[in-house]
Amino acid sequence: MIKIENLEKVYKTEEVETTALNGINLHVKEGEFVSIMGPSGCGKSTLLNVMGLLDKPESGSYKFIDTELLTLNDRERSNFRKRNMGFVFQNFNLIDELTVFENIELPLIYNRIPASERKTLVNEIIERMNIVNRSGHFPQQLSGGQQQRVAVARALVTKPKLVLADEPTGNLDSSHGNEVMELLCELNETGTTIVMVTHSSHDASFSNRIINLKDGHVVSEKINKSRNEELI
Amino acid sequence: MFKLNLKIAWRNLWKNKGYTFINILGLSIGMASCILIFIFIRYQMSFDEGFKNEDRIYRLTTNWTSADGFAESQGVPKPTPAAFRNDFKNQVEKVGSIRQDGGVIKVKDDAGKERIKVQEDVFYAEPEFFQIMNFEWLEGNPNQSLTQPNTVVLSQEMANKLFGDWNKAVGKTINYQNRDNFTVSGILKDIPDNSSFPLNIVVSYQTFKNYKNENFNSWGNTSSNDECYFLLKPSVSIDEIRSILPKFSEKYFQKDNSGKEEISAQALTDVHYNENLGNFANRTMPKKELYGLAIIGAFLLLTACINFINLATAQAVSRSKEVGVRKVMGSLRKQLVFQFLTETLTISVLALLIACVLTEIALPGMRSLFQDNISFSIISHPIILVFIVVLVIVVSFLAGFYPAMVMSGFSPALAIKNKISANAGGLGLRKVLVVVQFSITVILIIGTLVVLKQMNYMREKPLGFNPSAIAMVSVRNDSLSLLKYQILQERVSKIPGVLSTSFCRNPPSSSNNNESNFRYNGTEKANFQVNTKVADENYFKTFGLTFAAGRGFSKSDTIREIVVNETALKKLNVVNFNDALGKKIRIWDKEGTLVGVVKDFNNLSLHEPISPVLITTVKENYRNLAVKMDSKQILAVMPKIEKIWNDTFPENFYSASFVDDDISQYYETERVMGVLFKVFAGVIIFISFIGLFGLISFVATQRTKEVAIRKVLGASTIELVRMLNGSFLIMVFIANLVAWPLAYLFISKWLSTFTYRIEISIWPFALAMIISMVITLITVSIRSFKAANANTIDALKYE
Ligand SMILES: Nc1ncnc2c1ncn2[C@@H]1O[C@H](COP(=O)(O)OP(=O)(O)OP(=O)(O)O)[C@@H](O)[C@H]1O
Ligand SMILES: [Mg+2]
Repeated sequence: MIKIENLEKVYKTEEVETTALNGINLHVKEGEFVSIMGPSGCGKSTLLNVMGLLDKPESGSYKFIDTELLTLNDRERSNFRKRNMGFVFQNFNLIDELTVFENIELPLIYNRIPASERKTLVNEIIERMNIVNRSGHFPQQLSGGQQQRVAVARALVTKPKLVLADEPTGNLDSSHGNEVMELLCELNETGTTIVMVTHSSHDASFSNRIINLKDGHVVSEKINKSRNEELI
Repeated sequence: MFKLNLKIAWRNLWKNKGYTFINILGLSIGMASCILIFIFIRYQMSFDEGFKNEDRIYRLTTNWTSADGFAESQGVPKPTPAAFRNDFKNQVEKVGSIRQDGGVIKVKDDAGKERIKVQEDVFYAEPEFFQIMNFEWLEGNPNQSLTQPNTVVLSQEMANKLFGDWNKAVGKTINYQNRDNFTVSGILKDIPDNSSFPLNIVVSYQTFKNYKNENFNSWGNTSSNDECYFLLKPSVSIDEIRSILPKFSEKYFQKDNSGKEEISAQALTDVHYNENLGNFANRTMPKKELYGLAIIGAFLLLTACINFINLATAQAVSRSKEVGVRKVMGSLRKQLVFQFLTETLTISVLALLIACVLTEIALPGMRSLFQDNISFSIISHPIILVFIVVLVIVVSFLAGFYPAMVMSGFSPALAIKNKISANAGGLGLRKVLVVVQFSITVILIIGTLVVLKQMNYMREKPLGFNPSAIAMVSVRNDSLSLLKYQILQERVSKIPGVLSTSFCRNPPSSSNNNESNFRYNGTEKANFQVNTKVADENYFKTFGLTFAAGRGFSKSDTIREIVVNETALKKLNVVNFNDALGKKIRIWDKEGTLVGVVKDFNNLSLHEPISPVLITTVKENYRNLAVKMDSKQILAVMPKIEKIWNDTFPENFYSASFVDDDISQYYETERVMGVLFKVFAGVIIFISFIGLFGLISFVATQRTKEVAIRKVLGASTIELVRMLNGSFLIMVFIANLVAWPLAYLFISKWLSTFTYRIEISIWPFALAMIISMVITLITVSIRSFKAANANTIDALKYE
């Protein structure tokens, strides 16, 4: 589904130029669960942001199914993103002024889904995420794990083809972290493609394939046999 | 501690340069406006001050109550002072008359050659006047200098002008109106600008009494030139005088069915402020206008302070950590409040310095607008310094106290964890303040639009005659001059570019008016008075007056034929104007035949309705030659008229004015008001909108993360801009709704002072809304567009 070739990304600041991505090649099949690992500063988040069309690389090619995404203009990128992708961040990034329900509803509003349909979709996902009795709460009133479940719910509510998660468990203790990982697996089982950045090999063990980055390029790739067998 | 606070204050201001700049700019403009308004008000309130016994000095005035309403004059009938002096012996210490006159003053040199010829105001005053009002004398004194006939007292400046050096003036002679010679018997110290008594040449009242044609026994004639002042005895209250005055009036005035005439007393302290009664300086400043200005000043300052409060409370969140740390270290709330007030004070003082510069820059404009000699001198008016200090303190407290309370009130536990939310700084209050601020702005916008529209209406309203390109050239009416009228008129008529000329007392619309009783068709005296105009037969053609019935009168030097206006006949209940033609009218003890009815024209300012008017011929009462010119040739014609005039009346002083200038002079107050409105509306719009810009900048920064999240979730730039703008547009919209009824009250009250006025329509309101909404939209969009376009991911990286 995703074909990334020779991706390069350079950050220029006043003093230094950092090559965050240095000729990345990466293919992701539909329905796959891919983990990206690597030392701090090796370009994981940058890669994820480029994949999520939040950042523009200097050169290379990024094909999604058969569409080349890097030549799109801002509006087309924004439209493509809201129809096809969902995000989960390490720091949840919920809007403090909106309730759980409203936070989850937001991407539907931007996708111009009619209000009545929005309500069913949101309620459906809230039930699935086991946060029904929290739907009127504000983010500050929730624990970290609950907040991350809301963030996952928000990423899923539009039924995206691709979910991008940047250290989704980074701010959570292990039991809450596992809850989130199980959610992602369930999701993957229903056919959603997932690309996740993580530092934890425990988390990575939930995925089909682990990609190792270093200094902006892929150094190794490992198929997670146990998981793939499970899948079969 | 204080030094440290100041250091922190300074660093904080520097860190938030943008907000500091907006705050200082807004505050300094607001303060400058306040200082300007203050020095203007101070100047106006300083009129006629500093006389010994000033609270016991009063002026006698005359008023008439009749079916037509109430009228007042600053003057009294000539026998009044003597009668008052006699009847109020027990209550009043001194009574003094003073009369205003004016004419040509000539001074000859030692060889007897005419050296100076000027037109000047001349006053006749009794010595008592100067005993009541202790003007400073450089030479002579009231008792010696003004008791003899034909003596004159000059001001220092006038003496310098006429004789080169005031020290050498006493004993010399000046000539007045080619008629009298006066000997200089005293020198007055120059009278300051802020005085209702522009006394430069004062002749002894005895001189005036000796004129043969002046009648000192007639109670039936009141001239605004004859003023009379008195000094109350220390133990007597003015109420006592006021309670006896009706009886006094009854005793002397002739009773008559057209109305009641009375003498009343006005305090010296009211002379400068009462616009219904004038004064010699012809400058009155109604107190309500001063209050109006003070209110506008307060509004301006309030608007600037609101900016300050809004930006400070919005910024409060970013300082919560500092507050928390300080509290943990043991700082008391009081100390924190004090610290934040120090910051406000620093800003206020900076703003003040800039305000002083702005004031100096704006002062010349202000001087020419009010035609007054206002100065911004702290040394000669220490009260200004006091005002400035008070202003800074008030502003610091008004603007600083609330934010200081908010910030110092943060709970240290939350503050240290940076958990204070953006709403902690009183989001609700901020919204209310923005609404207040914009209500004020919108009221001023609406007010400005209406004032300008009414001014335009007055400029363009057809008056019923054509005042353009007509010069009023003044002529004397002594017997010698009268003989030369015909030759003057003939010669002026021959100048190319002169279309028509007419001798007359006044143009159709004038602020000099004469009212008189009359009898129509042999009946009883009419129950109303007519506004009389005397003019020759060319008057109608020269001023473009048109007839509803009949014709203009034919040539005559005395009353023979008469023309009235439509209003006069309507008031006499004549339905068909033609019926009235040929009827006799008796006025000034003479009889004439009504030969024409002119269509109504505005004979007074548009504040007043049209009066009944009577026009007839009385040669010795003409004072002007009206010259209608081709408007393109005015510049060429005027010098020729002057030359002919000077040839004809070499002894006299040429003076001329244009009718349309005189008419626009009626609306001087409104013009000044229009300018003020424009300027202050501009200033307030500016202050409000930079405040708005500051606020949206702040909000945009505060909501960066939210904007980024929404963008990730698929919001387009337009959607984000709309989201950021929304609340501001709603606030300004609400401000419009609040402003409308208030503005309506204000403008309908103001417009009601005009008899001829524009209808209040929805347009100024709608326009004010469009203006305010569009400017708001532009102001906030500039900033929110930037915010919505900013790079998203950085904002999402860190908590
Ligand atoms: N906005 C930016 N401006 C300049 N340099 C940047 C920017 N964002 C990232 N970088 C640099 O690009 C490189 C890759 O950053 P990236 O955030 O992708 O690392 P990462 O692998 O996600 O690290 P971590 O595991 O710590 O999250 C780093 O060297 C970083 O300093
Ligand atoms: Mg990262």
